[in-house]
Amino acid sequence: MTAETESLEPPLAPPPEAGLGRLGHAAYWIGSAGLLIATAADAIAVAGRHTGFHLLGSIEVVQAAVVLIASSAMVAATIVGAHASVHILTERLRPATAERLARGAALLGALLFLLVAAGSIWVASDLWSGFEQTELLGIPLRWLRMLWIAAALLIAVLFLRSAFVRAAGRHSA
Amino acid sequence: ADHVLTYASPYPPTHPFSRADIEWMRHVEKASGGRIAFKPFWAGALISSDMSMVEIRHGVADIGLITPIYSRGGAHMLRAQSGFYGGVVDLADQVRVYDCLAAKFPAFGDELEGLHVLAVQGGNFPGVLTRNRPVRSLADLKGLRLRAQSDAIDVLKRLGADPVNMPMGEVYSALAKGVIDGVVAPADTIRSLHFSEVARYFTSVHFSRGAYPARAMSDRAWRRLPADLQALLAASKPVWEAALGREILKAEQAGIAFGREHGIQFQPLPASEQASFDRLYGEYARLQADQLAAFGLEGRPVLDAAQALISARKSRNDSSCGPAATPILETRG
Amino acid sequence: MIPELIGLAGIALLLVLLTFGVPIGVSLALVGIGGLALLISPEAALIKSGVVSFETISKYELGVLPLFLLMAHICFAAGASRDFFDVAAKFVGHRRGGLALASIGGCAGFGAISGSSLATVATISSVALPEMRKAGYHPGFAAGALAAGGTLGSLIPPSGALIVFGIIAEQSIGKLFAAAIIPGLSQALFYMIAIAILCAVKPALGPSAQRVPWRDRLPALRKIIDILLLIVFVIGGLMVGWFTPTEAASVGVVAALLLWTLRGGFNRAAFGEALRATLRTTGMIYVVIIGAILFATFISVTGITDVLSGAVTDFHASPIVAIIVMALVLLLLGSFLDGLALMLLTTPIFLPIAVDLGFSPIWFGIFLVRTMEIGFVHPPLGLNVYVIQAMAKDIPLGTIFRGIIPFLVADFLHLGLIIAVPALTLWLPQVTGA
Ligand code: NA
Ligand code: NA
Repeated sequence: MTAETESLEPPLAPPPEAGLGRLGHAAYWIGSAGLLIATAADAIAVAGRHTGFHLLGSIEVVQAAVVLIASSAMVAATIVGAHASVHILTERLRPATAERLARGAALLGALLFLLVAAGSIWVASDLWSGFEQTELLGIPLRWLRMLWIAAALLIAVLFLRSAFVRAAGRHSA
Repeated sequence: ADHVLTYASPYPPTHPFSRADIEWMRHVEKASGGRIAFKPFWAGALISSDMSMVEIRHGVADIGLITPIYSRGGAHMLRAQSGFYGGVVDLADQVRVYDCLAAKFPAFGDELEGLHVLAVQGGNFPGVLTRNRPVRSLADLKGLRLRAQSDAIDVLKRLGADPVNMPMGEVYSALAKGVIDGVVAPADTIRSLHFSEVARYFTSVHFSRGAYPARAMSDRAWRRLPADLQALLAASKPVWEAALGREILKAEQAGIAFGREHGIQFQPLPASEQASFDRLYGEYARLQADQLAAFGLEGRPVLDAAQALISARKSRNDSSCGPAATPILETRG
Repeated sequence: MIPELIGLAGIALLLVLLTFGVPIGVSLALVGIGGLALLISPEAALIKSGVVSFETISKYELGVLPLFLLMAHICFAAGASRDFFDVAAKFVGHRRGGLALASIGGCAGFGAISGSSLATVATISSVALPEMRKAGYHPGFAAGALAAGGTLGSLIPPSGALIVFGIIAEQSIGKLFAAAIIPGLSQALFYMIAIAILCAVKPALGPSAQRVPWRDRLPALRKIIDILLLIVFVIGGLMVGWFTPTEAASVGVVAALLLWTLRGGFNRAAFGEALRATLRTTGMIYVVIIGAILFATFISVTGITDVLSGAVTDFHASPIVAIIVMALVLLLLGSFLDGLALMLLTTPIFLPIAVDLGFSPIWFGIFLVRTMEIGFVHPPLGLNVYVIQAMAKDIPLGTIFRGIIPFLVADFLHLGLIIAVPALTLWLPQVTGA
């Protein structure tokens, strides 16, 4: 009944990230960079406002940084299995049955992120030649869309792997 | 009804835009003898405000509100051209000029691919609303920290103002606390966003914004209709546009009346000042037009055509697009 | 099949998926996309998923959520939460139930740094639960106080839930924050009264600890002066207008980093862990939000919302009765829906009705979050309870839920107060002009 919360908070045991691989590390780096950029952009904008120097477009910087944060955060949450779920039934089932349900849930997770990736690719391809960019700073959005698509695909793969690893674990047990 | 069409808008049903939308829907339902019915979705329940062009194109809604002027990609011509209307007299004129431009320049239709424009909407004229420093001349703008939409930022900077962009939702408290000195906004916000509580002066500096295609139907939904109903929708375009113009003006007047009751001081900008503002705005429009080259678009011919149409209309109340243009039909779908 | 029936089938399917342990965000999103595919077209459903996902992850206003989380994680790493509890314990620990009172104080204090109920309950529990058990507190009582106290984190500003409400209801986040202060503080007071009454009736629940002499109390207070300054700076700066509510998050992170450096103990490894912990929680929240928006889009296409709001309007009851009915529906839904999902789902339905009935949207936001908070502690999906259980696996779930009952009573009385006296909510934003 505790899986849903295990990685929620700092006081709980650090999650098993040992084998998260290069992509996982990249996700953490990108997300951390996003957090620092977002912090800096707004903090500098505030400081600037009070000292007369002006940073126009800080909102756009934060928006771009948030894409980095959110994309990599979803990858990170998937790596450690931090997605909130209800365990009212599964914890009362026989382990084998619960295992099968968990595998099914992981497959559904993979399906969802494949669908979302497909939808995002479709939207991005519509706008690919449309020079999508932010208003003031002209930050090109297509690369941010690409980053999100890559993240969604990676999340789907992580869900698939989790379904597969569970299956393997069950066979060897 | 034979044809139930979904209509989607990011605005709530009580918004002036939505009231015009409802008026149009009633008109069409009646004119079609009940063969067309609408199923409206308000307040962004079905479509997003920034991406509605993409969504309607793919059939998320049959008909919906589109805002190419806020779009960040795929509609750079439609967006930029709305800044080419310097000196235009009123909302109705904006719509007529737009129709002429759309008929003349294929770039307009290219950006509207997969869509069928059902109404063009004029941009209302924003003014400058300030907390405690009235703006009586352009020189008064100097040093003012103003929240402005991004297309006004360059002009304001050149006038020595300190433009900032922040979400519209934060403007009220920013004004209340003096984070900003004022906001560039149309008069209806005095009432609708409660700005009368936090600002005292309104100066009508006309930022001549222009028209843009504002309501569209997906081509697919259009093709599902029989020819006579297609013709009916095409013929209802002026009905929708007139309703929009009326509601926009009504909201503006309501804002002004409300402001007067609540102690806002209104002042016009002296004509000479407005004229020099217009000159500056014109320079900026040329810059914008030239910058379209970055997107592979030619802006100057559109700007020149728009200005020619506006001055021709002013001098002889002309209602045609001039000799070179084809008659106004709907924009290409 | 008529759309309303598809909608009901969708809700049923959602419940099945949730029960089978499919992640909440995944269930919401899949049912939403599937429903839209059925009702509109598969193409429209895919496009909608693409649009919603990118809009959600590039929204400026939502970006403050991870930053507030980061601020809380940094404060945790800097030892702020432990110090908070320690000070409170030194002041009231010698009274009956004193450590429980201290826990509520700690939760309220940390709630002023953290934007989430879960973060607050986890943080304070990690310090307070072992202390209370060492002192011989009844496990259910201790856990109940912490689970309830944790919900303070989502009402006392900064509040992630209010940020999300402000975005979907298009209300000023600054006003919402100001409106939440008195309800948040009075909620803490209600819990403290509940503890006092319980321990008066049954002293064994929370035996008193050793009295700490005053000469040791004041130095302890000095330990948290920097944190109090941080809180006053962030909330005060927000109210005075040094920065906007969205900027407050960034300013808060910088101030928290400064505090950490001044306190010593700042190191790259710990900072890295704070960043990673922030990302993990953020990821979970974003998936739920994306799922909830897709599901809400599906539900509004089914027309169920119209039927529901029609039903409430036809009820022709007094506004108060209508609000109570809404509260009951929210509590019912809250028993199996995550708080955030619940809010995203119900705001588009209930807010227009409430405004029609003459309630202020700001008040309604506070009402909604307050009701939603109760869902964090009541069975079967009281997330706070699971957080505590994750830390103290030997306390049976049933014991914790039983321990929560008195606090639920306090919750209902407090909710009643918020409904009965709107001024508690609306006075402060008016005075501060937030
Ligand atoms: Na909080
Ligand atoms: Na709940």
